Amino acid sequence: MKKIISRRSIFLFSSIAVLILSTTILQSCYPGEELTYSDTDLVATFYNKDANFATKQTFAMPDSIIRIDDDGNPVIDPGPFDQQILNKIKSELQSLGFTQEAPANADVLVIAAVTTSTWASGGCYYSWWYPGWYPPYPGWCYPVYYTYDIGTILIAMLDGDATEAESGLWVAGINGLLGDSNSSTSSRINQNIEQAFNQSPYLGEGK
Amino acid sequence: MKITHIKFWQLITIALLVILTFSSGYSQRQQWYGAFTYSVSIPSGDTQDFIDEIGWRGIGLDYRYLVNKNVTVGLYFGWNVLHKRSEELTQLETDPPGAVYGVQEKTINAFPIMASAHYYFGERKKIRPYVGLNAGGFYMLQRYEIGIFLYDNDQWQWGIAPEAGFVVPVERDFGLILNGKYNMAFSGENAVGADVNNAYWSVNLGVVWEP
Repeated sequence: MKKIISRRSIFLFSSIAVLILSTTILQSCYPGEELTYSDTDLVATFYNKDANFATKQTFAMPDSIIRIDDDGNPVIDPGPFDQQILNKIKSELQSLGFTQEAPANADVLVIAAVTTSTWASGGCYYSWWYPGWYPPYPGWCYPVYYTYDIGTILIAMLDGDATEAESGLWVAGINGLLGDSNSSTSSRINQNIEQAFNQSPYLGEGK
Repeated sequence: MKITHIKFWQLITIALLVILTFSSGYSQRQQWYGAFTYSVSIPSGDTQDFIDEIGWRGIGLDYRYLVNKNVTVGLYFGWNVLHKRSEELTQLETDPPGAVYGVQEKTINAFPIMASAHYYFGERKKIRPYVGLNAGGFYMLQRYEIGIFLYDNDQWQWGIAPEAGFVVPVERDFGLILNGKYNMAFSGENAVGADVNNAYWSVNLGVVWEP
């Protein structure tokens, strides 16, 4: 009888020890939960599969970045990284072989926007354009299933010949949490814009 | 996350209750096996498409009641963690098509909970090869994180786990157990909701309490 109790005790002790050990060793259902700011960066690009980028040789770009509020309306409120974003986009386009032209003559229009509030994706923008920029553009759309968040940088390449609102020829969305320092944020902006163009080699076709 | 932890602790509680039941009831009749194993999992099929790395975290818990000298029936519980972190470009075959780049964290926590039946060759107290079948299902916690986005899908998936292994006696009542299981779910969804048949091999090494 004593032996049976002893065995049982050992068995119970072993069982409980393994369970406690397992919770210690396994610790978390989800390993690797510690993320840095840059770990949250996400670069998504989409393109119109019918677009022929070889015929798109020139681009036009406004000299400011539009901010989009909750209602999808443009807000003129320059931010500290605007010029850097514009310069980097321009530099990447030129590296691919595009040349800058006046808006009326450009094959594509490239615009940059930054979201200031959380908003769900879906639909087109018709009623706004860069103030005083001629000709007015009929509007643009973006992929409906992609959710943009606070601080998203949107880069859209639009067909210069479009006569009605249509999906961008190419749209990039760059998500990420705001960093803890300006230098870190600045560096991530450059890296991520570069990544957006690197993962879209078709933009450089025929140039 | 909170719900996930509650479910995990519920599972541990059930396992403890089973231990107590078996140890107090059947042990006195000396008609059961109990095994604790360290478990390594190797993804296969659809699971491998999602995570193609070996899972080094895992445990197994077996209770087997002797029906006769060659046959046991029992219960099998396990916990296998598959995880992969990568920073890569993923092509999106969507309309419009595209690509997404970022740090990705993919995790599957598989909790097999099954009834089992095993047949042992040879004689007790000697090295005994055996074959068996576990049938029941898996509670799958599946997560896919990319950038600031997270997809979560926790669900029960019915399945089986054919098994083969050895029991090696060491002391009078203790032994070692080595076995391999092919864990496969019949149906289910992955972290983003697409239909999959999760599957993974598990290699289990541990101790067996063999009265």
